[in-house]
Amino acid sequence: MVIAPLRRKVLRDLVRLWAQVLAIALVLAAGVATLILGNGAYSSLFEARARYYEQNRFADVFADVTRAPRALLAQIEEIEGVLDAEARILKLGLLDLSEMKEPGSVLFVTLPDSGKGLNQLHLRRGRLPDPQSAREVIIDDGFAKAHTLGPGDTLPVMMNGQQRKLLITGVALSPEFIYALGPGQMMPDPRRFGIVWVPRSSLEAAFDLEGAFSNVVLKLAPGADPNRVIEALDRLTAPYGGTGASPRKDQISHAFLDAELKQLSAMVKVLPPIFLLVAAMLVNMTLSRLITLEREQIGLLKAIGYSSRAVAQHYVEFVLLIAVVGILIGMAAGTWLGAGMAQMYARFFSFPYLVFTRNPQIYGLAAVITLASAIGGAVYAVSTVVRLPPAVAMAPPAPATYRQRMGWVRKLIRLKQPGVMVARHLFRWPLRTASSTLGVAMAVAILVASLWSFGSINYMIDITFFRSDRQDAQVVFAAPEPQRTLFAVRKMPGVLVAEPFRTVSSRISHRQLSKKLVIVGHPAGSQLSRVLGADLRPMALPDDGLILSEALADALDVRAGDLVTIDVLEGARPTVTLRVSGISLGFVGLSAAMDIGALNRLMGEDALVSGVNLMIDEGQSPAFYAAAKAAPKTELITITALMLSRFRQTLAENITVMITVYTSLATIIAVGVVYNFSRIALSEQGRELASLRVLGFTNREVAGVLFAELAVVVLLAQPIGWLIGYGIGLAMVAAFSSDLYRVPFVVGREVFATASLVVLAAALVSAFAIRGRINNLDMIEVLKTRE
Amino acid sequence: MTPNPDIVFRASGLTKVYRNGALEVHALRGINFQARKGEFIVILGPSGSGKSTFLNIVGGLDTATAGEAWFADHQLTALNEKGLTQYRRDHVGFVFQFYNLVPSLTARENVQLVTEIARHPMTADEALALVGLSERADHFPAQLSGGEQQRVAIARAIAKNPEVLLCDEPTGALDSATGIKVLEALTQVNRAVGATTLVITHNAAIRDIADRVIRFADGRIVEESVNTTKKAASEVVW
Ligand SMILES: Nc1ncnc2c1ncn2[C@@H]1O[C@H](COP(=O)(O)OP(=O)(O)OP(=O)(O)O)[C@@H](O)[C@H]1O
Ligand SMILES: [Mg+2]
Repeated sequence: MVIAPLRRKVLRDLVRLWAQVLAIALVLAAGVATLILGNGAYSSLFEARARYYEQNRFADVFADVTRAPRALLAQIEEIEGVLDAEARILKLGLLDLSEMKEPGSVLFVTLPDSGKGLNQLHLRRGRLPDPQSAREVIIDDGFAKAHTLGPGDTLPVMMNGQQRKLLITGVALSPEFIYALGPGQMMPDPRRFGIVWVPRSSLEAAFDLEGAFSNVVLKLAPGADPNRVIEALDRLTAPYGGTGASPRKDQISHAFLDAELKQLSAMVKVLPPIFLLVAAMLVNMTLSRLITLEREQIGLLKAIGYSSRAVAQHYVEFVLLIAVVGILIGMAAGTWLGAGMAQMYARFFSFPYLVFTRNPQIYGLAAVITLASAIGGAVYAVSTVVRLPPAVAMAPPAPATYRQRMGWVRKLIRLKQPGVMVARHLFRWPLRTASSTLGVAMAVAILVASLWSFGSINYMIDITFFRSDRQDAQVVFAAPEPQRTLFAVRKMPGVLVAEPFRTVSSRISHRQLSKKLVIVGHPAGSQLSRVLGADLRPMALPDDGLILSEALADALDVRAGDLVTIDVLEGARPTVTLRVSGISLGFVGLSAAMDIGALNRLMGEDALVSGVNLMIDEGQSPAFYAAAKAAPKTELITITALMLSRFRQTLAENITVMITVYTSLATIIAVGVVYNFSRIALSEQGRELASLRVLGFTNREVAGVLFAELAVVVLLAQPIGWLIGYGIGLAMVAAFSSDLYRVPFVVGREVFATASLVVLAAALVSAFAIRGRINNLDMIEVLKTRE
Repeated sequence: MTPNPDIVFRASGLTKVYRNGALEVHALRGINFQARKGEFIVILGPSGSGKSTFLNIVGGLDTATAGEAWFADHQLTALNEKGLTQYRRDHVGFVFQFYNLVPSLTARENVQLVTEIARHPMTADEALALVGLSERADHFPAQLSGGEQQRVAIARAIAKNPEVLLCDEPTGALDSATGIKVLEALTQVNRAVGATTLVITHNAAIRDIADRVIRFADGRIVEESVNTTKKAASEVVW
């Protein structure tokens, strides 16, 4: 095979400039990898979920009732748009495992009808229970793994206040619990929360719900309007304590997956464009310099009859090859990161199968976008090749014209001559200086935009658990209880302080906007669970009126002083209008708070309590757990410390991964920009610098000239990077906040400092890589030749 | 041997061999040489005879393969990289064929480049006045003619009050009229500063302004003549 001489030159150039080529290719690769990772994870997750929902007939509408007769189901099925309805019982129970000292809970769910039922199980091991058996159950896979339970094992639980020993016949997954978040938890914790599917008759008997149900799920006909179905459903369920149906998008597991998908698509919008932009700038810089150096060769080629197109193509090929190297590295990295991501998802989400996408479209798209941005970067430089007439090309380039600028600045800071050289050189190519500065700034920005989240989460934890909800434990009753139950809890071992609360399911509306949530009543002067204002001080609860969390107020477009309509969805179901007396701080979920007395008055009920917040003597906590578990009214026990440690542990695992990934990405950019910038500066000024060596400047002083130029660029980039990173972070906060959680935007000084330190370190490393070349400047060569 | 305090340069048996793989190029084959303080020496010789190699070694830009070279009481051939840098910085002024000015600095600033790091410099303006360029001090190299650029290079070389001034074909890129101006500048500076001056040239006519003329051929000094009738630069014709 004969390789055309120009082709051979492309290959030689690649080899000769390998370090610069690699630096650019790595930046491109980072773009490719983040594109593949983001789009790939998105499509993997999205498609796995869609397929799972489809195959296992995941419901579209979910509704809770207190107790409705099964006969109601026929009426529900008649609602227009309803394809299928399934009546179920959903009840919480307590784990009674002897090896587990701390409390844990399970959710009992009616075993779906096999075949045509909704939310069908994906059986992993064992068999389905005998529908007539009173003991046989199926448990969820995560829970089974956390306790090494399997078919044939027994599961001791407290079911409706009674001790029961259930027999596990199988282990399964369900589309309803892909993200199995236990009540009152912040992270799935399969050790302390499990799903137990129980045959209908057995569950009806255990909860005294013979011939009745407590939850109904609907599958809608394609194209049916969920809102109209929900309206009709709510009318039917209201007499039976219906607390209002929710569409699929509000279903917890689904909503968390949505939140993850949203984050992924935000990531794809931010990271890859940064890399591709920086790579395009690097291509432009490097190619422009190469073309300047090769003016004479270009002129010669044109003079001997190569067309402008052929010469331009030569340089485009050079860039394309760089892009191909980048794409190959990026695809490998993207696939590898994708596999890691799929593994990480497996820790939070339980899917029957979740593999990282192999969709060639995603890889192809990444390749095309990357090629386009590389060529985009080359366009300007290549166009100068096309425009260069052969005669001009043969003559040396017009000497760079420098201008005296900012003389007053010089007088002010009294630059020495090498300093003047640095300043003039930076100003001589303002575009390059600016784009390099922007490139380094992007590295800083990526770090700022990723590192802030840890501080913010810590802030969120601090506010939520150390200033607002300061209880050590919370006991929730199965139903509102009279005051004496509170006194009984107070007498449990280890209880130091006990404060009651009341929860009432309601719909709060303001103009056209409405949200369904639980209003919480607190006693005046609560010490444990406090409602905090924007100033972090506890807010006084008004005798009438209520306080909404910031997120809820935003969702309803409410300001303090506005009136809102409350439709209570339980008890006597009153509808009242209340004034919003204040807006509180809160990051998790939507919340509305009232005085407990006022809430009970609103309900027209005696002083009832839904649960108790507690301060526990640490030494006696095991005794307390045991007592709380044994108390017949207890439905749920939440231990703040356990929930927090699970949250922190998960966070800590992710932090290491995230910091590694983002630091590598930022380093790639910083090194790529700084290295290319210095190589080009060295190539342009090599002659001057060698002349300085002749004049008696030391290696160190000469390196200083080049490094000073770098330092200006890198230092200038810091504040710009902080600003851009801050902006990106702000946009991310907006993109990430949902009804599930809202992330406070807290950027401490340490975030800026860390980002800058990482980038400065990367810049230093690249500078050292150049140092050898400066030390080897050939003084004699430079004297023999004219530039 | 007691060094004569009047002798600035001494070289004995100075040899330089370039090795390119198996190929050896003997650029210098044992040079013995002395120069007195303030002497103006012109070096002639055919292309490739080793003139630049010699100048570069005594200027501390290059190292010899064998032999000794001394500047006053510094043995140049024993100095390391750092020592040579210091030697150039403190004692030597260079003028080259291609000026080698820093394009981003004005004439004055190019001179200041040296005065800032020198031990006993004159001011940049004094140096520029010596070469007759006071008017053009604020111009960038790109705005100056070749001869003017070369005079700036000379001003830069002498501004540190060097003991030696080494010039490699300073008029090589210039026409004769301009070349004469540059030579005038050199002789005047030689007189004013008292620097020992070595000038490589291909122009035999320049020999008339020298105190002494040395001829190189094939890596050796083949002829040495003392000029008794020294002319002024303006009297030279070529
Ligand atoms: N780096 C090098 N590697 C190999 N040989 C070299 C090198 N530098 C110079 N030479 C050789 O050494 C010899 C002397 O070179 P030098 O540059 O000193 O000659 P010169 O007398 O200055 O010539 P000119 O008048 O052309 O400048 C030449 O034969 C040259 O080819
Ligand atoms: Mg020479």
